[in-house]
Amino acid sequence: MRGIRKAFGAVTAVDGVDLELRGGEIQALVGENGAGKSTLAAIAFGALRPDAGTVERRGTVGLVHQHFELIERMRVWENIVIGREPRRGVRIDTDAAKRAVRELAARNGLDVDPDAIVESLPVAMKQRVELLRELERRPAVLLLDEPTAALAPAEVAAFFATIVALARAGTAVLVVTHKLQEVLDYADTVSVMRRGKIVAHFASRGVALDEIARTMVGGELPKVAARASTAPVPRVRVAHLRAESGDNAVRDVSFEVRGGEIVAVAGVEGNGQTSLADALAGVLPYEGSIEGADARGVIPQDRLREGLVPSWSVTENVALGRQHARARRGALLDRRGVLQAARAIVERYDVRAPSVDARVATLSGGNQQKLVVGRALLDDPAFVVAYQPTRGIDVGAAALVQSRLMEARNAGAAVLLISFDLDEVFALADRILVLYRGRIAGTFAREDADRAKIGRLMAGGT
Amino acid sequence: MNVRKAFGAPLTALAIVVAGGAVAMWLSGVNPLDGFAALVAGSLGGTGELSETLVQTGALLFPALAVALAFRGGLFNIGAEGQLLVGGLAAGAIGATYGGLPVFGILAMLCASALAGGMWGALAGVLRAKFEASEIITTLMLNSIAFYVASYFVGGPLHSPLASGAETAPLPANLWLPLLVPGTRLSIALLLALALAAALQFLLARTVFGFDLRAAGDAPEPARRNGVDLPRITIVALALSGAIAGLGGGTLVTGALHRFNTALSPGYGYTAIAVALVADLNPLWICAAAFGFGMLESGGLAMQAQAQVPKDVIHAIEGVIVLVLAARRFVATRVEQRV
Ligand SMILES: Nc1ncnc2c1ncn2[C@@H]1O[C@H](COP(=O)(O)OP(=O)(O)OP(=O)(O)O)[C@@H](O)[C@H]1O
Ligand SMILES: [Mg+2]
Repeated sequence: MRGIRKAFGAVTAVDGVDLELRGGEIQALVGENGAGKSTLAAIAFGALRPDAGTVERRGTVGLVHQHFELIERMRVWENIVIGREPRRGVRIDTDAAKRAVRELAARNGLDVDPDAIVESLPVAMKQRVELLRELERRPAVLLLDEPTAALAPAEVAAFFATIVALARAGTAVLVVTHKLQEVLDYADTVSVMRRGKIVAHFASRGVALDEIARTMVGGELPKVAARASTAPVPRVRVAHLRAESGDNAVRDVSFEVRGGEIVAVAGVEGNGQTSLADALAGVLPYEGSIEGADARGVIPQDRLREGLVPSWSVTENVALGRQHARARRGALLDRRGVLQAARAIVERYDVRAPSVDARVATLSGGNQQKLVVGRALLDDPAFVVAYQPTRGIDVGAAALVQSRLMEARNAGAAVLLISFDLDEVFALADRILVLYRGRIAGTFAREDADRAKIGRLMAGGT
Repeated sequence: MNVRKAFGAPLTALAIVVAGGAVAMWLSGVNPLDGFAALVAGSLGGTGELSETLVQTGALLFPALAVALAFRGGLFNIGAEGQLLVGGLAAGAIGATYGGLPVFGILAMLCASALAGGMWGALAGVLRAKFEASEIITTLMLNSIAFYVASYFVGGPLHSPLASGAETAPLPANLWLPLLVPGTRLSIALLLALALAAALQFLLARTVFGFDLRAAGDAPEPARRNGVDLPRITIVALALSGAIAGLGGGTLVTGALHRFNTALSPGYGYTAIAVALVADLNPLWICAAAFGFGMLESGGLAMQAQAQVPKDVIHAIEGVIVLVLAARRFVATRVEQRV
């Protein structure tokens, strides 16, 4: 790719980029939210036409999308084999297709149920399907846009083992990621993007993590706000909660989240987290009792399918969820208040959008996430449910979001954090619950939390 | 985005429709210029013609606004025709039996028509909200039921011995909506319709209910998770939609026909769907689109009589309009998916 330029209206997303991907090499592409990474990947793939510049491709290209391009109503196996279904005569050989999908999944350490309908799957599972679809196609050039944003650490390792093997066999790989440790662990070279330009390109061997981060943001990283000492007060009480059934069930869970503390739910995705979060958010029927959870702010797991109306402006989305509370004035929307709130969020969370009138669908993934977080914390809720709050956010902004959660806690909010990232859990939590198969397998106070023990409990050990 | 704007502008659509109409006329051996001249003369050529066009505009506006309200909430109300008919029936029933003060009589007729249409719509809403019955099917079926119910009443209980066919007795002149232009059929129903368009625009843009409605239509799952009560929106939206269509039926009875019969509407409820869609479900554009279709309704006769344009060609023009809007939607979604 040479001299690539792409503008959306007044915003120049990619501004004169040269990029070369070589067979056998894994190149990481890092940069702040809105730097232009996804746009560049879409151009390399051919889904977007650049305004200027040339793209030369040798062989087939596959793209794993940041926001998944799956057919929600179809089954997992159908999504994976689509376009190249094994046939028996004119009919699809269903058994062979499912078998192939199972083998593919096992080979890559990405466990999926071939018969599940995509729509019903949690985000992490959809991520696996999206990855498997491209792995199955074995393209000569593989573009991965935040492939691990929703994966658990163990899966990340297995996934990259596959990618490394593919690269060794001659595939050219581009990985867009915000997890800089992955860059050090698996990439051969790194390109750093800032405001549409590639500002640095170097071999990743021997580079310090901080150095990449500094090049990315063009300065020092913000620090996470300090934990103030609080006197926790009773706030949210969950007793004998049961919700949903099957894989995602919550089976008899009881715990408390007090005002002035962050309780983190650690665990491998698919152990009941989504049902727990949905029950607490008041959008899933449950048995048992939840008390004190009414004034809540929710950061949902899937910003685009659950949190935002993509075709609406930033401003209108800031009113969403608040239209029966702070954003209303009698029967009317409080338009001035909402506009002010939108501006405040854009400023406090560094949401990069051309204006508050921009459609949310045109924001970069990380900026959408910042918007969702900002809205959830806007009205100083007494209870916060935060599901992977830093998913898809760059390191600088992640520190910002974690700071805001910590500040909410310091100011007396009860915060329930659901995260698959143990680093985030340890950075934020006052108490840690381990969720396994819909039950609480262990509870730890921050001081005597033992990482190894928690890891074992998460995997079903003792 | 740009493509959508350029292609989506109703004026571009209008140009395509004119071109399509010209081709259709040319193919059927009519000089398109004669055809259009007849259309314009027949719909705008004089006070009588213009006011008849405006009568048709008003008649289309009510159901078109009804359709737009429901569609914006993601509810495909195909039943404006039936709602309009039961609205007209309710107004006709009151008009035929009323004996009090004229002002209250007219008000009672209008209220009854909105109420009847609203109930007709709410029925589909309840079926959808409680039993997940597709509103497309139920509203369509309710259209047939409305027709049979209306036929029964004008054939029996409300049948007037004074009338030649199956219809109610003519309304006394003091139960007629005041006329805008003396000597024509143009009543203040048109003003009511325009006010309703403005009100709907306000409802959608400024009120909490309109916000919830649009959220339900644009993204039901995020809406549900963010405090929008989807079943309630479904019922209320279809009830309101039905009420607007029903009110349209009521104004036809008190404003234009001055009696009720089952031929009250030559399919306004169906044409209204096209009107609403060409206007992108935007209430203000709908006023313009209703005028355009109103011209076709009133000028169509002149086209037939003076330029010998076959009736089918006039239908074909309406068909072209629907095609254009379908293509426009298709192009718009294609463009958005490229992002
Ligand atoms: N379809 C579009 N219309 C208008 N602006 C767009 C569109 N797509 C992207 N942009 C803008 O282009 C810029 C780059 O977006 P892009 O999605 O490439 O960022 P990114 O580097 O992938 O960020 P993230 O890490 O948050 O995913 C952003 O400012 C975004 O708002
Ligand atoms: Mg991106």
